[in-house]
Amino acid sequence: MSVSKKIVLLGHFGVGKSSLLRRFVEDTFSENYIVTIGVHIMKKEVSIAGEQVTLIIWDVEGTDDFTKYRPSYLMGAASFIYVFDASREVTYSDLKYNLEHLSEKYPHVPVHIIGNKVDLVDANILQENLLSQNIKPDYLSSAKTGENVEQLFENVAAQVLKND
Amino acid sequence: MTTDERLEILKELLLTDEQKPEKDVYKKIKALEDKQEHLSERVNPLMDARLNAFVQEIPKTLGPTITETLKTEIKKSQDAVAEALYPVMGKMIKKYVQAEIKKLNDDINQKLNKTFSFKNWFNSKNDHQKNAAALMAELYRARIEQIMVIEKGSGLLKANYSKTQRMDEDMVAGMLTAIKSFVEDAFTGEKEMMLERIDYELFTIHLQNFSKYYIAVVLTGIYDDEYKSKLEDVLLDFAQFVINEDDLIRPNQFNRKLKEYFTDERI
Repeated sequence: MSVSKKIVLLGHFGVGKSSLLRRFVEDTFSENYIVTIGVHIMKKEVSIAGEQVTLIIWDVEGTDDFTKYRPSYLMGAASFIYVFDASREVTYSDLKYNLEHLSEKYPHVPVHIIGNKVDLVDANILQENLLSQNIKPDYLSSAKTGENVEQLFENVAAQVLKND
Repeated sequence: MTTDERLEILKELLLTDEQKPEKDVYKKIKALEDKQEHLSERVNPLMDARLNAFVQEIPKTLGPTITETLKTEIKKSQDAVAEALYPVMGKMIKKYVQAEIKKLNDDINQKLNKTFSFKNWFNSKNDHQKNAAALMAELYRARIEQIMVIEKGSGLLKANYSKTQRMDEDMVAGMLTAIKSFVEDAFTGEKEMMLERIDYELFTIHLQNFSKYYIAVVLTGIYDDEYKSKLEDVLLDFAQFVINEDDLIRPNQFNRKLKEYFTDERI
């Protein structure tokens, strides 16, 4: 029997949420830069240790102010995936503040932190920047090359099942 | 003899040779004018005949070229053509549908006329009208195409029954929830309000809220107040007497219940 779980992708504008999702669900990457409008929902079934889980992934429009996220879009989520752009510091400089906001409003929802677009940045410089701000992402990924995309969603699915 | 008369005699004496060709030219012009009149009389009917023939041959000679040019131009600017034709087409379709319904109504009346004798028909004219109305109502009555039980908040599909597979029901449930949330967030003032109905082309989506979930019923046909009221009652009964807590975590069991309850279209 398959269980369905809602996952919500969050992050600033243009960090690559939709590209990550497309890479995971359709295994494609579009070079065209299209900003998500409103919300886009996609679905993928994942098998974790013989157990089926259907991820209903809500790709919510990016915002620079997390307090402006429509609460109804975030309600009932089993997990949040917080995506930042590894090549743009402005998209992770307020990460701690945003995480505090999420843990205050949704205390029981785990948050996975993903640094995307690693193909665009020097790994050493990125590590230095993240260390200096005490940020420890769960995954560094690239929707363009597919690096770590599958793994991160499978990890999310596994944790969702574990918490169920 | 005056000076003028003398001058005239002198002119005649001196210019006799020059006057002759001038008269000849005048005569030739006159002759040509006469010929032209004759020519017009002969040529005009010929010209008219050729022109008529040309006009008659236009569809054969220029027709294909004109058609081809129009086709090319229409292809080039399809959007503009569609924009121009849309209102006209809309009216035509509306008229066509109205005419078809009228025809259908007339057919039903004819059949009824055949079925009932004239005497009976005369005696029960009111009944006859009621029968026609009943037949029309039956023809256009609302029909359930799909029912989804959707968890509030998460938008996760808990149960689904569909006569035809249209789209991925999990994604539809999610998008319906997103639309519902958006509308309710946008328009709720002091008083909490719920989105209860969405109309889309031939479909109506009836939305009924319960505490943990809401039920979305996709319908075709005429969804009037009477039907809405009956549907609400049926869904209330279903929620009260059929659904239990266990169903919300057992989708297969819940799907079976939904199918059993709504297959016979009890509304």
